[in-house]
Parts: sequence; C-alpha cells; structure tokens
Amino acid sequence: MKVKIELFGATRDFSDQNILELSLNNDSTIEDARIEIIKYLKKNFDGNKDFVRIVNTSAFSSENNNIVSDNYKIKNNEKIAIIPPIGGG
Amino acid sequence: MFQGRIIDTKLRKLSIQDAEKFIASSDFGASIFFSGTVRNQNDNKSVIGITYDTHDALVIQSFEEIYNEANEKLEIKNKAVFIDHAKGYLNLGEISIIIAVATKHREEAYKLSRYIIEEIKKRSPIWKKEHYQNSESNWLKGNPLVNEKN
Repeated sequence: MKVKIELFGATRDFSDQNILELSLNNDSTIEDARIEIIKYLKKNFDGNKDFVRIVNTSAFSSENNNIVSDNYKIKNNEKIAIIPPIGGG
Repeated sequence: MFQGRIIDTKLRKLSIQDAEKFIASSDFGASIFFSGTVRNQNDNKSVIGITYDTHDALVIQSFEEIYNEANEKLEIKNKAVFIDHAKGYLNLGEISIIIAVATKHREEAYKLSRYIIEEIKKRSPIWKKEHYQNSESNWLKGNPLVNEKN
C-alpha cells in the first residue's frame, strides 16, 4: 500500500518535496513506517546519524490529526505527519 | 472566551491591538500581554532571523486543550484567552507569539499566562529554524513528544 509522510521541522531536510511517499505492506504500522523512513535515509543520506535520531525521537499523527502510537495500523493512501521534537514560542 | 490562531507572516504581522480587542471586557479586572520576539543571539551564534514551521491543526488543537485544562488544573473558569503564533520567516525583534489573558484578579492572570506559554513549549507542534550571520541555518533541537526508539 502507499503512504504519504508529511514532513515538518527538521524532517523537511529529508526531501525537497515536503512529503515522502512510502510503499508498505498492507496492515503496516507506524513502527513499520519508521523503519522504512530510516531505510530511505540510509539510501539517500548515507544513514546520517542526526537524521536517524530525529526519526527515532519523532511522534506521528494520523490523517485526522491524532497523535498515534507505534502499533497504529496505517490505512492505504493515508497521509501521516511526522512530528519531530518541538519547540515554539 | 478563547481565540487561537496561526498567522502566516507572508500575509500579516502579529498585532497586540488584535489581542487587546479580543480580551477587552468589563467582566475582568486584570489582563496580561505576553509576547515572544526574535532575539539576536543563541548559543553564542549571531542570529539574523527565524523561520517558524507549524502543524496548524495540531497546534490549534493543543491551544484549545491548554485553554480548557485551565478550568480544572488552575481552577480559572472565567477568563478570556487570545493566542497568536507566527508561521514563516521573522526578522530580529519581530513578534513570534502573543498570549493575552484576562481574568477577574491579577493572581489568576499571572498564573494563567505562565501556564499557557510553558505548555505551548512542551506540546504544541511548532519548530524553529535559526538563520545566522554567516549564512548558515539550523533547526533547533526541541523536545520530543515520545521517548526515543531503538
């Protein structure tokens, strides 16, 4: 299935498109998406350690704007947001 | 009474007058205006501006949650709260956030204003990219909403 990951904050440096498109198995979870993003970083950024750390400290939000846990099952074509460590104000 | 907004800096600037208009009421005897502005130094680097990024829907949701929590956590039921946060590029000295609160008495107003800014820092999905005099720029590290995964 196809999943779109909307990039925010420091993760915007992962792509010029502000979005990553992943192909995942059906019934994949946030944990699977996290693994797939890290694979993408290994391939495209030589596994940049800072980038990997950002992914490992990021939360994710479902398309209906709920922060979801790692076992959340992603729907086909769902747009998920990655929420790296925050700090506004 | 509550209003929370994300302001796109390409379209307009944050305005204390907007906040004043919103919270003005003879029901309240105390009001506090807090504003955050872009400063010229951070970690010994000369900052020339900051780009703010936001997940708009989650930010507004978090503002509403913080406002509603004040009823029980702070026991402040009668209040007016106005929160504007910038999205986009800001120069030195420009306003990134305005929090205006109005309550019956000053003690509640101070408590509420402080609570709101501290909670926004902890949980509203907002990010800062600092731009430096040497042309470099850097996303600030921030606080994770989850424990680190292995």
